[in-house]
Amino acid sequence: MKKLHLISLSIVLCMFALTAGARTADVPEPPAIGATILDFTLPDVDGKDHSLNSLKGKHGTVLIFIAVQCPVSNAYNERMEKIAQDYQARGVNVVGINANATESAAEVKAHAAARHLTFPILKDNGNKLADSLGATRTPEAYFIDAGNKLIYHGRVDNSRDTAQVNSSELRDALEANLAGKPVAKTTASAFGCSIKRAD
Amino acid sequence: MLSFKILTARVKLATMFIVGLACFSVLLLNVAAAAQSTARAATQGRTGRVAKPTVNARAVNGEELQALLKRDGKRPLLVNYWATWCDPCRDEFPDLVKIDNDYRGKGLDFIAVSLDDVADLKTTVPKFLRELKATMPVYLLNVSDPEPIISAVDRQWGGAMPATFLYNNQGEVVYKHFGRIKTDELRAAIEKLVGSKQ
Repeated sequence: MKKLHLISLSIVLCMFALTAGARTADVPEPPAIGATILDFTLPDVDGKDHSLNSLKGKHGTVLIFIAVQCPVSNAYNERMEKIAQDYQARGVNVVGINANATESAAEVKAHAAARHLTFPILKDNGNKLADSLGATRTPEAYFIDAGNKLIYHGRVDNSRDTAQVNSSELRDALEANLAGKPVAKTTASAFGCSIKRAD
Repeated sequence: MLSFKILTARVKLATMFIVGLACFSVLLLNVAAAAQSTARAATQGRTGRVAKPTVNARAVNGEELQALLKRDGKRPLLVNYWATWCDPCRDEFPDLVKIDNDYRGKGLDFIAVSLDDVADLKTTVPKFLRELKATMPVYLLNVSDPEPIISAVDRQWGGAMPATFLYNNQGEVVYKHFGRIKTDELRAAIEKLVGSKQ
């Protein structure tokens, strides 16, 4: 009988200890660096579907979650466009992803035209791609190589103020990969606007 | 008869295994808790004291912010990371002001950490706080690279704003939320801390 009590007490204590930790937020986990990103299909701002494989460059793709109304994302418009132009010629295509439920395809299209963003922008309705990639903020970048393997995930650089930029992790990852070298810093975080997910 | 004895022996063996496994788990958890307690004791001397309520924000660096997050075993702490340029941050701020008013007297410390530019320290930030009649201590995080402090605050947090963390009086995160707060959920978490002794 004593043994039975001991077993019950131990199990109760174990269960209590396992459930007594901090309550975690409902945050999707991003894939690990090196993981293969599955092909997906999303509509562009005109409603035409595109797959990852149809948009990727010879040496890969940079997906960047962007926003219409986020001041941080908007501070990066010129930098994102420059990256798109610089690396398209070198075989890496930039694709913008808008996963904000609060921003319509028409708004995204008008915003891209006004801010001179020439790279394709897809609308992630229902934030399914954002969920599968664990994207939480704008801007947030994912560099995927030609084999759809995740090479880098995180910020474009260290500051939304161009005068304060002293590390450009996304460009560093692109340069390293194109040179056939390992990427020194595979993740980097920064403050940004939360993605407004669908309820 | 022989097979019955073998069966009995196997049952005893299985029981001993389960008891052993359960006890080992409890032992491991106790050792981990003791290690945490020792680590906390080592940092008690550097426990940060939250400044008196004011509508003016004060600039802090990453180390100063981490010191502010430390607890001295007396009062739990609510921390909200926000910016005047962040719409959901502005939307939720009136709810946070109410929470501060409702729970400060019940033993909850609350600090708001602004991620605005330093240039906004004397202008946009205090103007917004005055408009909302906010009187909790406000600090403006002034760092050239935000990554170390984001990682130090929470490894699960990528820097999306707003972000809200509730620490118990030992400095452990007991609740966190990224994005606009769910007021009822946050209040329930606070009630658990200030409504009963920890």
